[in-house]
Amino acid sequence: MDQFGLLLDGFASALTPGHLLWALVGVTIGTAVGVLPGIGPALTVALLLPITFRLDPASALILFAGIYYGGMYGGSTTSILLNTPGESASMISALEGNKMARAGRAAAALATAAIGSFVAGTIGTVALTFVAPVLSDFATSFGPPEYVALMALAFVTVSALLGPSLLKGAASLLVGITIGLVGIDSQTGQPRLVFGIDSLLDGIDVVIVVVALFALSEAFGHLLTGTGHSTVQPLRERAILSRKDFRRSWPSWLRGTALGFPIGSLPAGGAEVPTFLSYSVEKKLSKQPEEFGKGAIEGVAGPEAANNAAAAGVLVPLLTIGLPTSATAAVILTAFQSYGLQPGPQLFSESGPLVWTLIASLYVGNVMLLVLNLPLVRMWAKLLTIPSYGIYAGVLVFATLGAYAAGGTTVDLLILCALGVLGLLMREAGIPVAPAIVGLILGPLAEQQLRRALTLSEGDPSILLSGPITVVLWSVVVLALLTPAAGAWFRNRRRADAPSPVR
Amino acid sequence: MSDVTETLPVEQTGVTDDRRTVLATALFGGLMLVAAVLVVVDAVRLPETSGIVGPAAVPLPVGVLLGAVGAALLVRARTQLRDARPGSRRPAHGALRVCGMVAALVAFALLLPVLGYVVSSAALFAVTAILLGAPRAPQAIAYGWALAALVFLVFDRLIGLTLPTGPWGF
Repeated sequence: MDQFGLLLDGFASALTPGHLLWALVGVTIGTAVGVLPGIGPALTVALLLPITFRLDPASALILFAGIYYGGMYGGSTTSILLNTPGESASMISALEGNKMARAGRAAAALATAAIGSFVAGTIGTVALTFVAPVLSDFATSFGPPEYVALMALAFVTVSALLGPSLLKGAASLLVGITIGLVGIDSQTGQPRLVFGIDSLLDGIDVVIVVVALFALSEAFGHLLTGTGHSTVQPLRERAILSRKDFRRSWPSWLRGTALGFPIGSLPAGGAEVPTFLSYSVEKKLSKQPEEFGKGAIEGVAGPEAANNAAAAGVLVPLLTIGLPTSATAAVILTAFQSYGLQPGPQLFSESGPLVWTLIASLYVGNVMLLVLNLPLVRMWAKLLTIPSYGIYAGVLVFATLGAYAAGGTTVDLLILCALGVLGLLMREAGIPVAPAIVGLILGPLAEQQLRRALTLSEGDPSILLSGPITVVLWSVVVLALLTPAAGAWFRNRRRADAPSPVR
Repeated sequence: MSDVTETLPVEQTGVTDDRRTVLATALFGGLMLVAAVLVVVDAVRLPETSGIVGPAAVPLPVGVLLGAVGAALLVRARTQLRDARPGSRRPAHGALRVCGMVAALVAFALLLPVLGYVVSSAALFAVTAILLGAPRAPQAIAYGWALAALVFLVFDRLIGLTLPTGPWGF
């Protein structure tokens, strides 16, 4: 087992005081932003991108990984106590968890979510340790055509999975790709979509787009809808699991993990599908199905585990192929790029120690998060009592700081504002913003690979379908495009045939 | 708003959008059509290069797709508009508050180099908090001042990110 030695070296590096400190800072910030409604890990990592230019790559990536994992833990606290899920993947925990909290079982819900997250996160990280190098070896044989097909697959599935409909997801993705086109074309030096504005020549910084679409649109949205009054469920006891709750929880944790990691590590990704699947599986297998909808602990344990296992899974395509399948993964990819590192098969061979330090820090971070979240959960719950006008005003202060640090000019702040209004329109139209982030970051990479492939074949597009891997991938793309359409068509037929509409 | 999520996992589809969502979708589709024209026009004026795949190879299909998806959104919004239900009630003057917020951000962008980081950010915090319904304005200003000063100390003095200073040095 070659990986063991490498992983041990990674641990040796991750357990140095400096790296431990960055991991602790990361998981603490991550939990905090996960708890606070309206701020997610993607936004936080983006805001910290310009600041970490002063850090060495290992410290920065450990920090970001901590924020990424921490956000998952913190999100469940909010959805259980407040019933406003910060991200769509924790919607299910809000469903059962908040019911449990209302019935006075907040402590049990929080405990099963935290321990389930730990179990799933750890198993997911173990799986990552063993799957990633194998996949990375396999991916060394990939040429530009394979990458084009993989990215096309990611584009289609991200559009379909991260939003209410394929059409709206595709709209968001295209917005991101278009923003990614702005600036000087790296291969020919031609300015594209610049319209004579000098500060657009370098393109629009990822930080500005993420901040505008996530933070500003959220603040603008609350100006329209009002911040509302949400009730925080009180947390009276310490978050521990009774023997009975533990017996009911652990099979759900394992089932959630088994669903979450494989689905998360597909180049389609997303944590939504496995959490929804896990919920319905738990509901089917439960001995007390009548409890579902009224606060069944399995309905928190399974989806939370699935959510965290998927988060570990998403790192597999990110590290081995350089394919981000969630907004946070896309921003972390940018962090790699800013250090001149390109995630992909070469990453393991060229920057092995860095990758293994990062993976080891994920184990460490998970342990830290369990400690941070079980005994200290009441402290995090206190964050929920900050009035939302304070949260959003603070978010805007950090958002403008991040945008200014990324660009440093007034024009950057004006672009930020314009994109924020665009983000508000997307919110109002029910168009998800996450595909736009993936499109923005993956778009230029896809273009590069496409042009490389076509240059290899001297312009013959049939190179894109050469080899068995590309054929399989493109078939999946076509299937993924047709399935929702066919589903909608069948639903419409059924509705048309039915004498009276169900709804 | 709290119980909306109850039906979601089972039947996420088939829910008709409210009127506001449909209109916003239509507007977004329209914007995509405009963007499509801009992208295609910009791609067409790019000069030919010696390479096999020029700089316009990707923008052209992206422009076409923008147009297609934008048009599809417009068409779908048009058909949905008929049986769209009215949206939930919202507090009055929402649009006005958004305009105020945009104006505050533009003012922040323009005044930041002049007034320095702390004053501009404190003002931005206060305006945002008040627009979002902070009950007491002096308190919002005090919090904003404290946060801006803290951020300036940590990021400018400690981390070394150079933030703009006003005539008074912060």
